[in-house]
Amino acid sequence: MNYPTDSALLSRLLAGEQKAFRELVATYQGAMRAVAFAIVGSRNADEVVQDAWLAVVRNLEGFQGRASLKTWLLTITANTAKTRLKHNRREVLLDDISSPHGSIGDERFADDGHWLLAPYAWHQDTPEALLTEAELRECLEKTLASLSELQGSVLHLREREGLELEEICNLLQVSLSNVRVLLHRARLKVFATLEHFEETGQC
Amino acid sequence: MLSCKELVARSSDFLDKQLSFRQRLAVRRHLLACKNCRRFIKQMRLSQAVLRQLPQGQNAELDSLAAKLAELRRQHS
Repeated sequence: MNYPTDSALLSRLLAGEQKAFRELVATYQGAMRAVAFAIVGSRNADEVVQDAWLAVVRNLEGFQGRASLKTWLLTITANTAKTRLKHNRREVLLDDISSPHGSIGDERFADDGHWLLAPYAWHQDTPEALLTEAELRECLEKTLASLSELQGSVLHLREREGLELEEICNLLQVSLSNVRVLLHRARLKVFATLEHFEETGQC
Repeated sequence: MLSCKELVARSSDFLDKQLSFRQRLAVRRHLLACKNCRRFIKQMRLSQAVLRQLPQGQNAELDSLAAKLAELRRQHS
């Protein structure tokens, strides 16, 4: 097996050790929810993740270790979600929903493409320092909640789970160019949220 | 030369290494000359790091799910 940490965890899972399942769930639940969200939407996502976990437990012996445990789990989740989605997949929604703190739009630039309103200097320059502000955390949660299901999932899978863009395309069946657009717009909204907070000290 | 607006439009592709060699060079050249865009890219990287470290709750929920799955596994074997 190519993934030694996976293999150690797997034998504990096969033995039915509760702590091993706790580790598994804590590590992968977030990514699985993001995949389910993107494919079936928020209303059915929790049920899909539940079903995916049951499928995982039933098929643990079948896990060959040819892919990482993460890839295996996310593929099962994507397949479970697609099975649930009996009707044809909705079009990828590239229309952008506006975010509570906006984005970095054309209004920030002069006609010649130079900054009109340049990025504001932030007071903090580490993530730890920024995140000590409870209000900023809430503010970010609001922005993340305002993203479309697909956009939020793409951002989550890329930034929090560290998936490659190609993996995201394959799991969610979205083209690379669409993933890039979704990701970029989501990042600008997060950027604008942080900037707004650093500039005004409030959400 | 790339404008600031174009640089911002390509910033995610730059961070994700999706640009061609030539495009990447154009971004780097712009950054050398433009303090505002250097700040922008630095803050984009910081935003990414903030997202990575944003805490995620729901521990109790995960405990009960893990217990259920372990139980199921033991029944299954």
